[in-house]
Amino acid sequence: MRFIPALVLAGAALLSWAGVASAQEVVESLRGNNPITATSRTDNMFRPEKDQDLIPRNFQKQPPLIPHSIKGYNITQNFNKCMDCHSKERAEETGATKVAKSHYLDREDKKLTNISPRRYFCLQCHVPQFDAKPLVENTYKPAAKKGE
Amino acid sequence: MKLNRRDFIKANAAAAAMSVAGLPATSAVAAGKDDIRWDKAACRFCGTGCGVLVGTQDGRVVATQGDPDAPVNRGLNCIKGYFLSKIMYGADRVKTPMLRMKNGKYDKEGDFTPISWTQAFDIMEAQVRDALKKKGPAGIAMFGSGQWTIWEGYAAAKLMKAGFRSNNIDPNARHCMASAVAGFMRTFGIDEPAGCYDDIEHADAFVLWGSNMAEMHPILWTRITDRKLSSKHVKVAVLSTFEHRSYELADIPMIFTPQTDLAILNFICNYIIQKGKVNQEFVSKHVNFKKSATDIGYGLRPNNELEKKATSNGYPGDDGKPKGDPGKSEPITFDEFKQFVSEYTVEKVSKLSGVPTKDLIALAELYADPKIKVTSYWTMGFNQHTRGTWVNNMIYNVHLLVGKISEPGNSPFSLTGQPSACGTAREVGTFSHRLPADMVVTNPEHRKHTEELWGLPEGTIPEKPGLHAVAMARALKDGKVNFYWQQCNNNLQAGPNINQELYPGWRNPETFVVISDPYPTLSASYADLVLPTAMWVEKEGAYGNAERRTQFWRQQVKAPGESRSDMWQVMEFSKRFKVEEVWPAELLAKAPKLKGKTLYQVLYANGVADKYKVSEVAPGFDNDESKYFGFYVQKGLFEEYAQFGRGHGHDLAPFETYHKARGLRWPVVDGKETLWRFREGYDPYVKKGEGVAFYGHKDRKAVIFALPYQQPAEMPDKEFDMWLCTGRVLEHWHTGTMTRRVPELYKAFPDAVVFMHPDDAKARGLQRGMECKVTSRRGEVVLRVETRGRNKPPRGLVFIPFFDAGRLANKLTLDATCPISKETDYKKCAVKVTKV
Amino acid sequence: MMSLQKFMPAWVKRVGLFTVVALFLAGVIFWGGFNWALEATNKEEFCISCHEMKDNVFKEYQNTIHYTNRTGVRATCPDCHVPKEWGPKMIRKIQASNEVWHKLLGSVDTPEKFNAKRHELAQHEWDRMKKNDSQECRNCHRYDYMDYTEQGNRAAKMHPKAFEEGKTCIDCHKGIAHQLPQIDQHIGKQNEGALEISHGDKTEAKVEEKK
Repeated sequence: MRFIPALVLAGAALLSWAGVASAQEVVESLRGNNPITATSRTDNMFRPEKDQDLIPRNFQKQPPLIPHSIKGYNITQNFNKCMDCHSKERAEETGATKVAKSHYLDREDKKLTNISPRRYFCLQCHVPQFDAKPLVENTYKPAAKKGE
Repeated sequence: MKLNRRDFIKANAAAAAMSVAGLPATSAVAAGKDDIRWDKAACRFCGTGCGVLVGTQDGRVVATQGDPDAPVNRGLNCIKGYFLSKIMYGADRVKTPMLRMKNGKYDKEGDFTPISWTQAFDIMEAQVRDALKKKGPAGIAMFGSGQWTIWEGYAAAKLMKAGFRSNNIDPNARHCMASAVAGFMRTFGIDEPAGCYDDIEHADAFVLWGSNMAEMHPILWTRITDRKLSSKHVKVAVLSTFEHRSYELADIPMIFTPQTDLAILNFICNYIIQKGKVNQEFVSKHVNFKKSATDIGYGLRPNNELEKKATSNGYPGDDGKPKGDPGKSEPITFDEFKQFVSEYTVEKVSKLSGVPTKDLIALAELYADPKIKVTSYWTMGFNQHTRGTWVNNMIYNVHLLVGKISEPGNSPFSLTGQPSACGTAREVGTFSHRLPADMVVTNPEHRKHTEELWGLPEGTIPEKPGLHAVAMARALKDGKVNFYWQQCNNNLQAGPNINQELYPGWRNPETFVVISDPYPTLSASYADLVLPTAMWVEKEGAYGNAERRTQFWRQQVKAPGESRSDMWQVMEFSKRFKVEEVWPAELLAKAPKLKGKTLYQVLYANGVADKYKVSEVAPGFDNDESKYFGFYVQKGLFEEYAQFGRGHGHDLAPFETYHKARGLRWPVVDGKETLWRFREGYDPYVKKGEGVAFYGHKDRKAVIFALPYQQPAEMPDKEFDMWLCTGRVLEHWHTGTMTRRVPELYKAFPDAVVFMHPDDAKARGLQRGMECKVTSRRGEVVLRVETRGRNKPPRGLVFIPFFDAGRLANKLTLDATCPISKETDYKKCAVKVTKV
Repeated sequence: MMSLQKFMPAWVKRVGLFTVVALFLAGVIFWGGFNWALEATNKEEFCISCHEMKDNVFKEYQNTIHYTNRTGVRATCPDCHVPKEWGPKMIRKIQASNEVWHKLLGSVDTPEKFNAKRHELAQHEWDRMKKNDSQECRNCHRYDYMDYTEQGNRAAKMHPKAFEEGKTCIDCHKGIAHQLPQIDQHIGKQNEGALEISHGDKTEAKVEEKK
C-alpha cells in the first residue's frame, strides 16, 4: 500500500475544491441521476441480441456466452432443448458447437460415456445476452500473451 | 494462457491428493508458462462457498476459474463465479474519500468532494465525539455484513462492543440468516447445521422449502441434479409460493399460499405420529418437547395496531413493563405435542395451503418412511418470515420426530445466502446481541470470558443487546443514532421500506452516514462520507460457508487509488480515541495500565493480535494492512479469535493450515474436520457410547416446539389485492453492485421486471413488456411486465427481484420482522398492479 | 301459381312446395346448428373447459410464442390440433369421442396421470402431423413463402437443408408449445430407456418404430 503523503493529497483535494474537474466529483449510483424519490426511468425495453457467431471469450475457462436467442427453449428433467443441437450426437447435423469434453467428467474427474448430469442445467453457466448497453464501462483486460 | 487443469494438477499433485482427503495440502500457487500466477480463493458471492482459482498478471486479475480441487464445486462455477475476474474493474471505482461539502466544510446538503483519509477521519472523529457526548454509546451504530471477511468482522465487533462500548453493531445477515440462527439456538443450543454438503451424494430425497437453489445456490444444484439424474429412485420435492427454475427437477411440485408452510409442517408431524412412524427410541433419548409464547406480534413499530394488540411482543406495555417475552417457552409432553398437531389434518391443511392432499401425503411420506434418507434445504423463504424462527424450529421438529438427522443423507440443512454469513456474521458474533462462538452479551459469564480473552476489565462490554438492523434504521429516522457507519453492504437498497424508514433516516439532518464501499452504490450516493474500499482479493481474506467450511485467500492484487480494506479503516480509525475519552473512569480504574492508550493499542496492538511478524506473510504476496501496521494483522486477529472456539465445539485449525487446505469444516479437532455433528463416530464432541448428543443444550437433548399457524402481518385485500414476493436472480448478486458492472452479467438480466401470471396481467389490461405500476401502502415502482419468464407465479402473486437500483423493490416491502430473530419478511406484503 | 307449377320437378309436386321449403330451412338450420356446435368445440374456451387441458398443456402453451408474440397473431388449440379441411376434420372429431370417453374415465385427471400418458399423447400428434406433412403448421407457415433474410442465422441455415431432405416441420419442432415427455438424451441414468426423439432421419425413425 503506497501512501501518498498527506500533504500532496490535501493539495490535490484543495485543487479540486477550487473547481478543477475530477472524475470523482459525483457519487452516482447505477440509478443514474434519477433521485431515489422519483419514479423509475422507463427507457429499458431490451431484446435478445441478434444471432451471431461465437462471442469471443475473455479467458480460457470462461463458459462461452450463448450467441443466439433461446426464446421458448426449455430444460426440464424430461428433456434438454440445448442438447437437442449441442450434444455430440446432434452437433454435426445442426452445426452447433459441440458440448465440451469437460462435460463428460463426473465430480471425481472420471470420464463418463454420457454427459455428466452435473452439467445438465446449461443456463447456470451459459447465458444469452440482451441488447442493453452496459451501465458502466469495465476496464478488465485479458491476459497478455507472453513468450508465444 | 496455457495453464490448463491438467498442468495445474501436475504442478500440485501432492496438494491435490491431500486436499481430497480433507487434509492440509501445500499452497496452490502455480505460475503458468505465460506468467499468469494462479492461486486459490473463495468465490465472492453466495453462501455455497465455491473454490476458485485466480489468475493474476502484472498486478491485475486476468482470469478466474472453478477450482478443480475444491470439494464444494470440483471445478464448476455458476455464471457469476465465472466472471469474478471482472468484478473489481468497473470504471467507477471510488478511489478517494468523498465528503459532502459546501464552502470547504462538511455540509449535509453539500456536494461530494474528494478529501484525504486524514480529513475523512477528522470529520468522522468529530461526529463520533459529538454523538457520544449527546447520546452516549447508544448514539453511534455500525452496520456490517455477512460479506465481511472473518477478521474484518472481528475487528469491527471489537471496536464497537469493547472500544466504544456500544452493542449497536449488526450485520446485513440480520436480513438473511437471523431466523436460522434463532432456530438453531432454540432447537439445538448451538448454531449452524449438523450436516454438510456431502449429504447430497447420500440422500434419496430432497425437499426444498422456500429455496430456489437452481438460481441462488447453482453449484449445490449441480450436485443435486447429478444425484437425481444419475439414479432412478431419487425424488425431489419443491415447495414455494411461485413456480421457479428449481421446479424443472421436481417430482412433487407444490405451490402453497404464503405463510401456510407453518401449517404444512405441522401436518407432516401429525401424519408421522398418526401413522406410527415416530422414531420412539431417538425421541425418548434425545428430544425434549416445549410450547412457546404465541401472541408475539410482528416486529413493527409499537404504535402499529398489530403491536398494540399483541400480548407477548416484549414491547413496553401501559405500565412501562415489557409485554411478555416472544422467545419464552415451557416444557410439555409428547402427548401434549401430539394433541397440539392433531388439528392439522390433511384436508384442513390442503384447504389452507392450496396444495392437493395427495401431494401433501407424498411429501409427508418422504419424511415418514424410515427407508428414505431425506435432506431438507431452505433459505430466505423460511428465514425472511414473520414467523421465521418458528418455521426453522418446525422443520427440525419433523426431522427429530423420525430421527433423520446428523447422518449422511438425513439432514435438515439451512443454506446461507452470503459468503460469510456463517464464518463472519454468526461465528465472530457481529450481531447486536452476540459475542464470538455463539456467546451472547446478555450472559454475564459470556461477557466475562470475552473480556478476559480480550484483556479488558470486567464490565467493558455492555449487557444490553444493541440495535438490530430494522431497529437501527428506525433509530436513524427518530434521531436516536447520530453516527452511522456501514461497511460491505448496500442497505439503502436492500433494507425494507425505503420510503418510510431508510431514506428519511439517512437524510435526517441529525445523522452522519459513512459508507465504506468499492463502488458508488445507492447507499453511497445518499451518504455524507464515502470511503473507498478494497474488495475481495485486494486483501487477504477468509470466509466461512454454509457447511461450516472456513476458507482463506491471499491478497492477489492492490486496490486502486486510495482504497483501503474495511479492516484497515476500522483499525486506523481506532487510533483517534484514547481509552479514557470513551470509557467511564470507574471502568478504567479497574485496569490502570490501559490509561493513556488508544483504542488501537487496547484492541489490536494488545500483545496478542500483534504477535505475528509481517515476514510470515507468504513471499511474493502483498499484504497491505500488515505492512502498514507492522504485524501480520490477519493472523493475529484470527488466532486471538480462534481461542474462543477451541475446546468449545467451534475449534478452528491453526491459521497457516487454511492457506494450504481447500477449506476445513469446524470443529477441527486433532487436525480432522467434522462432517456430521452430534453423532458418535463423526463428531469428537460426542462421548463414546453416547450415540447421539445435542450437546449445545446442557442436557444434551434437542427441542421439538409446539407452534401454531398464524397469519402474516399484511395480506392481500380488496385494494391491495396481490401478494408481493421479492428476491434474487441467478445472474446478479444482491443489489448488483458488482454483477451489474460486469457487462456479460448485466446484459444477461439487464433490469428488474415484475413476474406475473398472464391471466392476472390480462385482467389488469397489461401485456408482456408493458410498463405497469406496482403500489403498496408504502410506495410505488414502475417496471415492465414479464408473463413468460423463468418465474411463473400463480394467480394473485407477483415477484420482483431487488438487484435493480433503478426499480427499487424495497420501496414496497414492509418492515415487519420475526419478533424473535428480528429478521424482515421480504416475501410477503400486499400490492396492487395497475396500468401506468 | 300455375305458371310456377310448370317449372317444378315432379317430386316437388308430389310432396308440395311448402314441405320442400320447410325441409330446406330445416336442413339449413340443422347444418348451421351442426356447424355451430362443431365450431363451438373448436374454440380455445371449449378446450380449456376441461381442467386436464387447462392445468397441463394450456399452462405450458401460455409460455410460448404461439400464445403471445410480436404481431399478436395467435395459434389456438384447434389451429394445430384440428384439421381445417372438412373430411379430416370430421375424422378428428369422431376420434375426439374417444377423448370424451377418457375424460369420463378420468384417465388423465391429475398431473401425474397426464405425465404418465404424455409420451403416448404426444406420439399421436407427432404421427398425425408426420402423416399429413405437418398440414396444420403449413396452414400458416409455408416453406415457399419464407424469406430467409428475415430469419435468424440458425433458421436460415437449417430450413432449406431440411426441406431438401424432405423433412417436415414436426420432425424438428417437437415440444414447441407443450412440454416434452421423458426423452433419453444420454445424460445420466434417469431417462435411460425412455423414448429416443426422432428428427425425421430414416435410421432414427427405425429406432423409434422398434420401441
